[in-house]
Amino acid sequence: MSRSATNRAKDEVDAAARVAKLTAGYTPLPGIPDEFIGVDGQPRAHWLRFLDKLMEFSASDMNRRFATADRHIRDTGVSYRAYGDTSERAWPLSHVPLLIEAGEWREIAEGIEQRARLLELVLADIYGEGRLIDSGDLPAAAVTGSPEFLHPLHGVKPPGGKFLHIYAVDIGRGPDGRWWVLGDRSQAPSGAGYALANRLVLARAFPALYRDMNVERLAPFFEAFRLGLTSMAQRSNPRICLLTPGPFNETYFEQAYLARYLGLLLVEGGDLTMRDGKVNVRTIAGLKRADVIWRRIDSDFADPLELNAHSRLGVPGLVDALREGGVVIANALGSGVLEAPAMMSFMPKLCRKLLGEELRLPNIATWWCGQEDARQSVIEDMDELAIAGAYGNPVPGFASSQPLIGASLTAEEKSRLVAALAERGVDYAGQEVVNLSTTPVWHEGRLEPRPFVLRVYAAHTPQGWKIMPGGFCRISGRTDARAVSMGEGVQSADVWVLADKPVEMVSLLPTDETVRIRRIMGTLPSRAADNLFWLGRYLERSEATLRLIRCLASRMIETGAGAANPGSAVSKLSSLLISWHAAPRATASNAMALVAAALHGDEEYGSAVLLVRDARRAASFIRERLSTDTWRLIGDLNRTLTVDMHGALAEAEAYERADAALRIIAAISGLAQENMNRGAGWRIFDAGRRIDRGINTCRFARHFASGEAPADDLDVLLDLVDSQITYRSRYLMGVNLNPVRDMVVLDPFNPRSVAFQIERLDEHLETLPLLSDDGMLETPRRLILQLAAEAATATAASLNNEKILGFEQSLLGLADAVAARYFLQGPHVARADKSSGLA
Amino acid sequence: MIYDIRHLTLYEYGSTVTFSHCALRLLPIGGPGQTVLSTSLRITPEPAQTIERLCFFGNRLTFLTIETAHRKLIVEVNTSIAIDRGEPLDEAATPAFDEVRRQAFASASLDKESPAHFLHPSRLVPRYEPVTSYARQSFPAGRPVLAGAKELMHRIRDDFKYDTKATVVSTPISEAFEKRRGVCQDFAHIMIAGLRGIGLPAAYISGYIRTIPPPGKKRLEGADAMHAWVSVWCGEAHGWVGLDPTNSMMIGNDHIVLAQGRDYADISPVAGIILGSREQDVDVQVDVVPRV
Repeated sequence: MSRSATNRAKDEVDAAARVAKLTAGYTPLPGIPDEFIGVDGQPRAHWLRFLDKLMEFSASDMNRRFATADRHIRDTGVSYRAYGDTSERAWPLSHVPLLIEAGEWREIAEGIEQRARLLELVLADIYGEGRLIDSGDLPAAAVTGSPEFLHPLHGVKPPGGKFLHIYAVDIGRGPDGRWWVLGDRSQAPSGAGYALANRLVLARAFPALYRDMNVERLAPFFEAFRLGLTSMAQRSNPRICLLTPGPFNETYFEQAYLARYLGLLLVEGGDLTMRDGKVNVRTIAGLKRADVIWRRIDSDFADPLELNAHSRLGVPGLVDALREGGVVIANALGSGVLEAPAMMSFMPKLCRKLLGEELRLPNIATWWCGQEDARQSVIEDMDELAIAGAYGNPVPGFASSQPLIGASLTAEEKSRLVAALAERGVDYAGQEVVNLSTTPVWHEGRLEPRPFVLRVYAAHTPQGWKIMPGGFCRISGRTDARAVSMGEGVQSADVWVLADKPVEMVSLLPTDETVRIRRIMGTLPSRAADNLFWLGRYLERSEATLRLIRCLASRMIETGAGAANPGSAVSKLSSLLISWHAAPRATASNAMALVAAALHGDEEYGSAVLLVRDARRAASFIRERLSTDTWRLIGDLNRTLTVDMHGALAEAEAYERADAALRIIAAISGLAQENMNRGAGWRIFDAGRRIDRGINTCRFARHFASGEAPADDLDVLLDLVDSQITYRSRYLMGVNLNPVRDMVVLDPFNPRSVAFQIERLDEHLETLPLLSDDGMLETPRRLILQLAAEAATATAASLNNEKILGFEQSLLGLADAVAARYFLQGPHVARADKSSGLA
Repeated sequence: MIYDIRHLTLYEYGSTVTFSHCALRLLPIGGPGQTVLSTSLRITPEPAQTIERLCFFGNRLTFLTIETAHRKLIVEVNTSIAIDRGEPLDEAATPAFDEVRRQAFASASLDKESPAHFLHPSRLVPRYEPVTSYARQSFPAGRPVLAGAKELMHRIRDDFKYDTKATVVSTPISEAFEKRRGVCQDFAHIMIAGLRGIGLPAAYISGYIRTIPPPGKKRLEGADAMHAWVSVWCGEAHGWVGLDPTNSMMIGNDHIVLAQGRDYADISPVAGIILGSREQDVDVQVDVVPRV
């Protein structure tokens, strides 16, 4: 036996021992079914198979892989926002997936497919003919009680013919071993993107394990969903938008992630406008039709004219566009009416009536208390039931936000509830209490049982409903199964549906003939353009401020600390930082404090750290347009500058930090130059940088190359614009005013000169789309052509501060003209807050 | 009785508006006891597009698209309406309120008149237990629904003070109820909340009321206002009956219906997002002139 074979044999023995130890140390909660340990007390075979393979990794290897997964989540920015949070939270992912066998999965999938068909028919009836209402199968008051029953949509046939396009069901396994439907998500189900992100992270951490377990792929489902949306449109190359409530929504990350993954245009309500019964996207090339809108805003917020008048998230006139058939909305407005618990009570009967079948997946037995018989039985059986608000609201008349558990009510509460049921039974639903199963989580080297809820997704496609083989699993932080929404202590898990045989890597790429070659990617919405522009401007401001700081630190190192002489370079750099609002005036006499404040301080809005935060905020609004690397670098930049402010900062340290931050900005610039597609987005982003670089360079020149500037000042200027080496190689004598001015302001070959920025801006503005084909120049282009002519014909000898100020002001005027021409105007402007002293 | 009504709405903006979408609910509807003889709608500047629809609750909804740059928007409606409502319903003849509640819960209709639409909380009329307990006092078991509703109406009139300064359009009913002050809109919302709280369907009606000038005085031009009241559902046999808590009276030939809905949010006369304006100022003038 070779040495390695011996080791392998030993590892196998170790692995088996560790699986045995894990299994022995795992005890399901008393009276609660479990995914890992069957009702017979024995571990289920597929779980053992999984653990066997997992334990082939040594403990340290496994922990390293877990750590990689966690880091991956943090780095790619997988996050969510708890309601009311100001900042995003990293996504807590369980290291152990939920495993479901193929046979069992087929039953779940069939049940969900049936339920999707059923719900589509019920919705069509509620908003259409109302036969179920007339026949008494569905009481009118149970429908109208839901705030998601939207009167203006009654009688409106959904363009495309379907109400539901993506639908989700929350399910759990009951003590009888069957899966139960706990709730329907018919409005705008969230979580599918997190499921995708979870898969990516876990499959990457354990590629072999993932392959060997024959896990079903998720990608075909998403492709089918996208094709389903496409097939709804009236045009062959439709524009499909994902309508988001914006970056402050709980699941904005997921929306941006899915928009990018599916190639959809991520838009906010303000990006859209209704004209002539159709919905258009405001883009930098004018209005472009939106054919299909996948909405992630609630229906009620979709149209302030006919729905919630206070909504700022919607599109005025959208409902009328639907009446005109001008746009497809997924899911149809008002679909959320089916999410009411009251509706669940009618589903078994409606399934028999509409499909002639029994429900394949039972739902939690529910009684709507608006009906006399149901009310009586709920009162009689109260101790076995939970009492919920009939429409997904908290139970009226009781303080708890959760359903009431009948058995734990006091006598007083019970009699109060009975009186409320008599007065307004329509508001309450009784539901069976079911102990749902637990699944193992990894906790400090052991497996522990935790309650979970599984959300499964169905997408409507031309071939019927497709069910995602997997799902979004939320695991409770506590052993109490009742509250499993994302919040404190809750984590999510990847869901592995295990096929009977190896899963083929299906290529999703369409065949050559079906693809029309295109070179211009999509359309740039005005709001996205606005944020890209400001991302560019803030990055450039951060860079200019950091260059000042670095230069100041280096001069202090050279000249030694101490009070700066008036008129010295140190004093001039300091005063410039103060006038740029990078550091408070109070630090003027203490250069070290000034440097620290300009780097890390939050007293003045122009400090490097705050400018970087502004850049990051602008970036967060357009995350789907930035590469993961860019987003990571912006995060790194923020971290580099966000440090503990207490504790003194030595000159060399300040220099190091500014230098490190500048290196990251250089990397971002490099990515933009080398990796960003030269579409309109890149041009707008780069235009933002060029405008601010031009402005800042003018300011540097006016400050350090005024008529009577000493040589030392000119030297600082060459440092600030990175032109020392070029200057020295071009001019053998020392620094002189005119050559320096020429190099910094007029030299079109110097990528840091003002003239160079002007040339690039002219290229960008020439290439960006025009609003009309009348051959007339648009304002931004007219301004830049004037400026370019002035810069090209100026000579160094004719330059003075007044002329340079003229360039600076022209560039400021150009920035306004760009904003007026390309970006959103009016009250819907969703731009980054432009608080800065530079423009 | 025939009325000539002029309803003028004038918006002034702080800056020029170049594009605007809005929805008007300013044209009256016919119905039991009410016949619309003529209506005219004049808008300045002239809209690029005007679309008329009936909303779910049967009100006339006018969508405007204005593409002319403007700082002033003028909407003028002139209407002539004939009113003849007949004898008010005898309260003793109406069913017990608990029976009405039972019928409403069991309703098998989503038609615009169905009690099911007016049974639940709505945008501006949320559940509010103090109002419900206030209303409950007028409804001992078995009391005919209209008797209870009329008593509730009288109590509101007696317990509340009409005060145009106490509330604004967005004041929640809880605040108006605590203050025991408000205007017709508040009283209507409070009465609706009380009725729905005990399981009775109630609707919000907006319209006009004939004002009678003090003896010897002339009617003041433009001094009339929009009015609002309540319609309560009295069971399948009797349907909807109008009650005006502000004036403590049943709806008669002095009341002219403009629109109906679950609350003010369903019938607000002008809805719209005005692009490009920072501030706006609105002026409304109403004249209700009975023909002699």
